[in-house]
Amino acid sequence: MATNLRVVRALGMRSIRQTFRRPQLMAPIIVFPTLLLAIQTGGAGGAVDLPGFPPVQSFLQFMLAGAMMQSLMLAGNSGGIALAVDIEMGFTDRLFAAPISRYTIVLGRLAGTAALGLLSALWFFAIGLIFGTEIEGGIPGALLAIALVTVTAMAVGGLGAAIALRTGSASVVQGLFPLVLVVLFLSSAFFPVDLMIEPAKTIAEYNPLSLIVEGVREPIISGIDASDTANALLAIAGIVVLGLVLSARALRHRLRVG
Amino acid sequence: MEATVVIPAWRANLATIGALMSRAKNELLRVPGAAIPGVLAPTIFFLGLNGVFGALTQLRGFETGTYESFIVPISMLQGAGFTGAAAGVNLARDIEQGWLDRLLVSPAPRWVLLAGGVLSASARALIPASFVLAIALPLGAGWPGVDGLLVTYLMVAAMAAVAACWGSMLALRFKSQSAAPLMQAGMMAAILLTTAYAPLALLQPWLAEIAEINPVTEVVEAARQGFVGEVSWAGTWPGILALAGLLAVLGALALREMRRTGA
Amino acid sequence: MAKAIAVEGLERAFDEVLAVQGVDLEVGEGEIYGFLGPNGAGKTTTVRMLTTLLLPTGGRASVAGYDVVAEARRVRASIGVALQEAALDPLMTGRELIRLQATLQGLPGAEGKRRADDLLERVDLAGAADRRVGGYSGGMKRRLDLAAALVHEPRVLFLDEPTTGLDPVSRKTIWEEVRTLNDEGTTVFLTTQYLEEADQLADNVAIIDSGRIVAEGTPASLKAEIGHPHIRLQLEEGSIAAAEEICARIGPLLPPMDGKTVLVEVEHGAADIPRVVRALDEASIAVGSLELVHPSLDDVFVAKTGYHLEQDGDESDEGEGAVTE
Repeated sequence: MATNLRVVRALGMRSIRQTFRRPQLMAPIIVFPTLLLAIQTGGAGGAVDLPGFPPVQSFLQFMLAGAMMQSLMLAGNSGGIALAVDIEMGFTDRLFAAPISRYTIVLGRLAGTAALGLLSALWFFAIGLIFGTEIEGGIPGALLAIALVTVTAMAVGGLGAAIALRTGSASVVQGLFPLVLVVLFLSSAFFPVDLMIEPAKTIAEYNPLSLIVEGVREPIISGIDASDTANALLAIAGIVVLGLVLSARALRHRLRVG
Repeated sequence: MEATVVIPAWRANLATIGALMSRAKNELLRVPGAAIPGVLAPTIFFLGLNGVFGALTQLRGFETGTYESFIVPISMLQGAGFTGAAAGVNLARDIEQGWLDRLLVSPAPRWVLLAGGVLSASARALIPASFVLAIALPLGAGWPGVDGLLVTYLMVAAMAAVAACWGSMLALRFKSQSAAPLMQAGMMAAILLTTAYAPLALLQPWLAEIAEINPVTEVVEAARQGFVGEVSWAGTWPGILALAGLLAVLGALALREMRRTGA
Repeated sequence: MAKAIAVEGLERAFDEVLAVQGVDLEVGEGEIYGFLGPNGAGKTTTVRMLTTLLLPTGGRASVAGYDVVAEARRVRASIGVALQEAALDPLMTGRELIRLQATLQGLPGAEGKRRADDLLERVDLAGAADRRVGGYSGGMKRRLDLAAALVHEPRVLFLDEPTTGLDPVSRKTIWEEVRTLNDEGTTVFLTTQYLEEADQLADNVAIIDSGRIVAEGTPASLKAEIGHPHIRLQLEEGSIAAAEEICARIGPLLPPMDGKTVLVEVEHGAADIPRVVRALDEASIAVGSLELVHPSLDDVFVAKTGYHLEQDGDESDEGEGAVTE
């Protein structure tokens, strides 16, 4: 057990170092969502006047959660790519041959993703504050949102890792990036679900990501709400379980196939 | 024993441009699945934007019928931006792998080498644009009329050329594919910091100011004409002028970088 | 006749590092010129300047009579280039590549097609011509690169390390092709890190080290400058002293390797063998074996730079100079 923890820590440090050592890979994860945030608040900001729009201080206040979600999805995708690269390079073979639990490999990789998730949450909070956004839930609200974002990043990273383990190909994982965007569009990330157009509206209503978005958003636009938080945690748990199941099967498959 | 060039320079240049364009299409035709992201991305954006922001048409000041009509030209232009930026990424890869040396060592003029990639991007951009249009029409986008369609396609092809010049300039400057995000982000910003999502009157003040100075806004408005109303020369020439200006500036910068590769 | 390549004080600085410092050289028409040196010596940088891919930061150069800076386009029309990276597109077929090169050189379509067929035949790639370059072996790629460089029948051909990484058979094939080209009148400027290649192919060799030319001349004259060949005699133990005395009259003795050999330097090489044999015969000294050993380009290299070019002697056939240091 102690060995496993040490390994997770070591791999975790490695994955964090890798992430921050190459800014040009990090940049899209922060820059694109920021650009999109600016454009969407600037272009669609008038939406706050629509009947049925939840009471917010500004469209920016509404959108911060969506921008953080976008960042963390990209971070999860990039964590998957990094793991796939490790597999392609044969690094993971070395790990598999060692007497450590298989899961430590995935957990270690997720540390980098978690760090990115944390960073993006902090970044967008900073932007919000700079532009005068008020966090209705105060400091506890901010902390809750940051925590949810970080955990979700890891959960999504776990899915990315499962795909990486199954396919062993970085370009396949990279090719899923558009899918990531689609899933996000079809959620409440960028607009209130009630005001979306069919069929996107119905899909967003059933999309578990919407629950997570609401869990991150509520502390910012109105305050901490127990049921929203619980729903978000449930959805995250669902993703984690899915990721674990897929990872387990992928690991078994990989070890059989080699 | 020097080879005598038996054909006039202009024909040689044209043949070279054609040959380079022909090579560029290999990327699409000979690499399975390579074309898919470029073709799908604008369509995904269209469907996403429409589903998400469609309600904006309820706001006072939104004079068009459907949101589909309003944004389909944006998605087509985004396809152009993406295709052009991808041409820049391909050039960066060619530089990294030494292919560009082969072209630079030949007597072909530098502008000819650039033109091959740029014109190829222009032509290729018509594919994602058509794909988006094909999806958008049954979903509620109004038929722009033949004149509207022609104007839109013209804007798309020229925008792709602008994006290709931008991407090529960065590729030659940084000589590395890691400049790719900058190529993509630059074009995304250029196209979306306009009246992309909403008419000028409904934009937040800061974005409205940017949109007013951004020449690409004219391109957007010109491309959008047929979809939201009548096509007129008055609505078209500002877009043409904007594109001509952008092509002149970015083309010159790209050419300068091409000429400076040995410095 | 104007020199095919004339270089005066050529320099290239990268930030503060002088990769090429003050290179002077001349290559006559129809010559094969070898540029020999280790990795990082400045060979590729020099070639890139001569082929107009890189601007010199000092000095001048002209190729085929045209200045590489002021008349770059004319230079490009007169030269063929096969660079180290074998700048090929893996998605194209061999035939497509040569035809593209023909178009780049301004040849009309039909002419390009005809020449492509001929050249593919010539470098023995006719069978693979319509397969994608991505599937070619290293040797095939080099041959294709060479064929493409010839499509416009250039006056001067630049080959940057044409056989690096190739197996011996492919290497010999390239050498033959270079010789044939030269027989047809093409001037060849080739860079190499292989002593044997320079020795076998080049009319003139320049040794470059750390951006400077440290020696220049024909392979024979360079070797002669360093020393003469020697004869290695294997004899019976008892006759060593007597043999040494006799040989010393013919030429200076070299330190023996062991108690059974006599090494005598002979100014005239093989021409001195009969003298030695006759002298020993007259003294009734039986000779076990006789070997004429020539100085190698590696000896030249060591003398000029202080170190060996080839670390493990895998390429050179010469006996000496194989030990690393």
